[in-house]
Amino acid sequence: MAINLNNKSGAGRADWTPYLFSAPVVLYLLIFQGYPLLQELYLSFTSTSLLSPAKHVFVGLRNYSDLVEAAEFARVLWTTFIYTVGCVVFSVSLGLGAALLLNAPLRGRGLARSLITIPWAAPPVAVALIFVWMFNGQYGVLHQAFQWVGLSDGMEGWLNDPALALTAVLVTTVWQIFPFASVVILSALQGVSSELREAAVMDGADRLSVFVAVVWPTIRPTVMLLTLFVTIWSLRRFDLIWLMTQGGPIGRTNTLVIELYRRAFTFRELGEAAAVGMVGLTTALLITIVYFWFNVRAERAAGQK
Amino acid sequence: MNHSIDWRHSVRVMVVLAILGLTAFPIYWMLVTAMTSSGNLFASPTHLTPDLKQWPVFSKVFGETPVAIWLKNSALVALGTTGLSLLLAVLPAYALSRFRFAGVGLLGLGLFVTQMLPEAMLVVPLYAIFGQLSLLNTLTGLILVNTAFTVPVITWILKGAIDGIPIDIEEAASIDGCSRLGTVFNIVIPLIAPSLAATAVIAFFHGWNEYVFAQTLISDAHLHTASVGLAGFVGELSTPLHSVMAIGLMYTLPAVFFYLLVQRYVVAGMTAGSVKG
Amino acid sequence: MKRLSGFSVGVVALAGALVFGGAAMDARAQSKETLTFAAATFAEAGRGDKLKVWIEKFNKSQAAIEVQPVALPFSTLAKTVFTQMGGGAGPDLVRFDLNDYYAAVQAQRILPIDDGIKESDFKFSGPNKYMMVGANRYGVPFEISNYALLYNPQLVKGGKPPANFDEFIALAKASSGNGVFGYAYRATMAESNGFWQDLCNFVYGFDGRWSDAKGNLSINSAKVVEGVVAYKKVYDAGVTPKGADASTYRRMFWERKLAMEIDNGGVAGIFNQQAPELPLAAAPSPFPTRAQGLILAPITINANTKHKAAALTFMRWMLQPENQRELQGILGASSVATVIERTAEESRQKPWLKIYDEQSAYGVPQLVQGFEARTPEIQQVILEQVLQVLQGGVEPQKAMDEAQRLATARVLRK
Repeated sequence: MAINLNNKSGAGRADWTPYLFSAPVVLYLLIFQGYPLLQELYLSFTSTSLLSPAKHVFVGLRNYSDLVEAAEFARVLWTTFIYTVGCVVFSVSLGLGAALLLNAPLRGRGLARSLITIPWAAPPVAVALIFVWMFNGQYGVLHQAFQWVGLSDGMEGWLNDPALALTAVLVTTVWQIFPFASVVILSALQGVSSELREAAVMDGADRLSVFVAVVWPTIRPTVMLLTLFVTIWSLRRFDLIWLMTQGGPIGRTNTLVIELYRRAFTFRELGEAAAVGMVGLTTALLITIVYFWFNVRAERAAGQK
Repeated sequence: MNHSIDWRHSVRVMVVLAILGLTAFPIYWMLVTAMTSSGNLFASPTHLTPDLKQWPVFSKVFGETPVAIWLKNSALVALGTTGLSLLLAVLPAYALSRFRFAGVGLLGLGLFVTQMLPEAMLVVPLYAIFGQLSLLNTLTGLILVNTAFTVPVITWILKGAIDGIPIDIEEAASIDGCSRLGTVFNIVIPLIAPSLAATAVIAFFHGWNEYVFAQTLISDAHLHTASVGLAGFVGELSTPLHSVMAIGLMYTLPAVFFYLLVQRYVVAGMTAGSVKG
Repeated sequence: MKRLSGFSVGVVALAGALVFGGAAMDARAQSKETLTFAAATFAEAGRGDKLKVWIEKFNKSQAAIEVQPVALPFSTLAKTVFTQMGGGAGPDLVRFDLNDYYAAVQAQRILPIDDGIKESDFKFSGPNKYMMVGANRYGVPFEISNYALLYNPQLVKGGKPPANFDEFIALAKASSGNGVFGYAYRATMAESNGFWQDLCNFVYGFDGRWSDAKGNLSINSAKVVEGVVAYKKVYDAGVTPKGADASTYRRMFWERKLAMEIDNGGVAGIFNQQAPELPLAAAPSPFPTRAQGLILAPITINANTKHKAAALTFMRWMLQPENQRELQGILGASSVATVIERTAEESRQKPWLKIYDEQSAYGVPQLVQGFEARTPEIQQVILEQVLQVLQGGVEPQKAMDEAQRLATARVLRK
């Protein structure tokens, strides 16, 4: 389906069309993301204050070695890890469940599919504000519900409790992102061949086997890609966490991005912040590489079956 | 046999209703909080339903806060981001789909890298660049930077959609004398309308919801977007919570309505092209 | 074929219009010299509007200068303005908090104004001395505010304020119940600046200071630890709405759900203006010494400004006695740069003003003296350790030793 550049009639003439078509976007991204990224890389080797961003004092690897030595940074990495895993596991599984439910024939299915996407449409700033109020330790509706059910001793709201703050932030995040997962999986489910499904049912397979044998192989690539995206977006998510806890209490919700922002704008240390950012970026890159490596292997294995 | 199917069906309906309840509850709670008098906000037990007598709060906030300006700015940024993103993404998506050239792998990698970059990390260098380009304190600047974050995803999705259009249609048009560019705009684009709708939604949400850049790059109060305006109420005493929630609701609902308008296409448009046959 | 190309053209036109229309919106006609003045106070309902009217008076009195107020939310003002300053821009006049003031001086982001403002011309009050950094003055106090115990006589058991700390705890406990809390303060990282202010009040009240006369950090000195112990006592007493942020518990006070809180004069002024029927009284904070934090917000001139002379003109206008008097009235229980006596009428109507005014003599800036510009980092370290005490079960002395160690390491490094 793709045109091979060497096959163009009017032989010998190279076709600049694809390059012309792509150039504006490539240029655009280089200006607005590539160049700032290189700046950040450079900044990470300097000591620079927010108040005088043009004055760079080159310090080599000191920002990075400070991170490695700091005990709090290990906690930041751990918190980021837990948060990311939690987001992925819960949003994808909830999304999958919701997609399967909404794929089956149901009266009002169209309406349900529309309504379920409301959290995805809601702006993170507004979501943060309402969830903070709902989790409020004295008057929040969720706090009172938890007390009623026995999940809380009523003394402290979840957002202020070191043991529960990350859970509260996770609940809010999953609420916001699982509809996106369900929409993506739902559209992938449309690609499941109905003939295969019917054949499996007629063969007497139960619902679980039908799922494993027919549905899952079709949607697996989409779900895997979705998982990758949710993972790297979790590493990047800022607004919700900052507005809800700013990384507290005692660092329990302090992810890499929150740490970056605090170092840049509260401590006004741009060099340290850039180093944290580079660590985050490297992590995301590693995850992506691992994902592709596994994917290629799995596809090779599937191809050999 | 019939009984067991009914039972399973009822369970399914109840679970769907439960999920819908959970997804809608926080929005409902925004409404309840907006329509509760200030004193009752601190009452116990908590009132579970909105106090309908409090509906004037919505008109009051227009007088007491610049929420109309904020919403207008958010709309401008969102629409601008949508228009510019779609405009920029169409041609590269087409090129990646129809041509085999060195760019594909690189673009795939580039897409993932751009999705990994937090706004917080790029905001300081971008601030300096915008300063030099005189784009600081302009909505145009916000549109430009938001587009940079949405274009990769949109290009990817549109590429997938164009993959699903059989090449014969284009070849027929080319025989009819249509130029390559003409083919793209007159033949291909209409055929990928669902994906255009899906990507329009993504771009619109991004522009509407964006906070970090809107906060840092804009300083004039009359250019603030609703995300910044709403966040400014955190830690502020004089505006009561019900007013804040009223504004939050007015900020949330347009995005929701926009989505509901086009959602029919989104499900189809997300992975169009990967569905073959 | 034609219909759809129209669609495409439409998209291009729309995108183009929005992209470039945004730029056109910034065109502004200018005949007078225009200055921008950024302050968080402009964003406050009540005080903000009155302040804008006060600025209008200046504008009307000047043929060639106009000052435009810029309202920025308190929580993000420093961040926003510093980012702008770093980029070569920013508002011409800025009202900073004191710690940001020192940071700005150190980074040479604000101008020295000794040439424009002469000490001898004005009757400056005591806190004015904090405006001097080295040999130069970099700002003029815009608002000076002190802390005192605000209480609702109807909710406090016995109707009388506590005389010492133990009485205070007992009174807070006795006044709590039935949906009412005895006391509230900040203890979350999300409100780190306010948390710091409240902590400083406790520590100063117990005669602790963050650094000693020799210029060393004294975070783990005995008196500081006493202050932290007191902070914890209140936390454990169960009289506070845990996790509530200041805007929420001030609202609670407003709605008569809170009996006591230690707060600054500005807030007392807001209560008085917006909720006149609220029973409100003030007393000195219930600590062994009367030292409490001092809020000193200077007005400064951006080093990037192109209107230095006009800015100085505004400052001098501001310091004229009539304008100072009017400003003091607008600000409520805060004081202004120069000494302005309260009118007899004011004192009668607002008896709590006396407590705040008397407190001026005891105010200590909420900074680490000797390390002013490094306060944000030191503050973060100390607050984290105090939270370990409050929520992590760590012993106060141990936590403050750790804070001392971490802060010294950070500070010595640069």
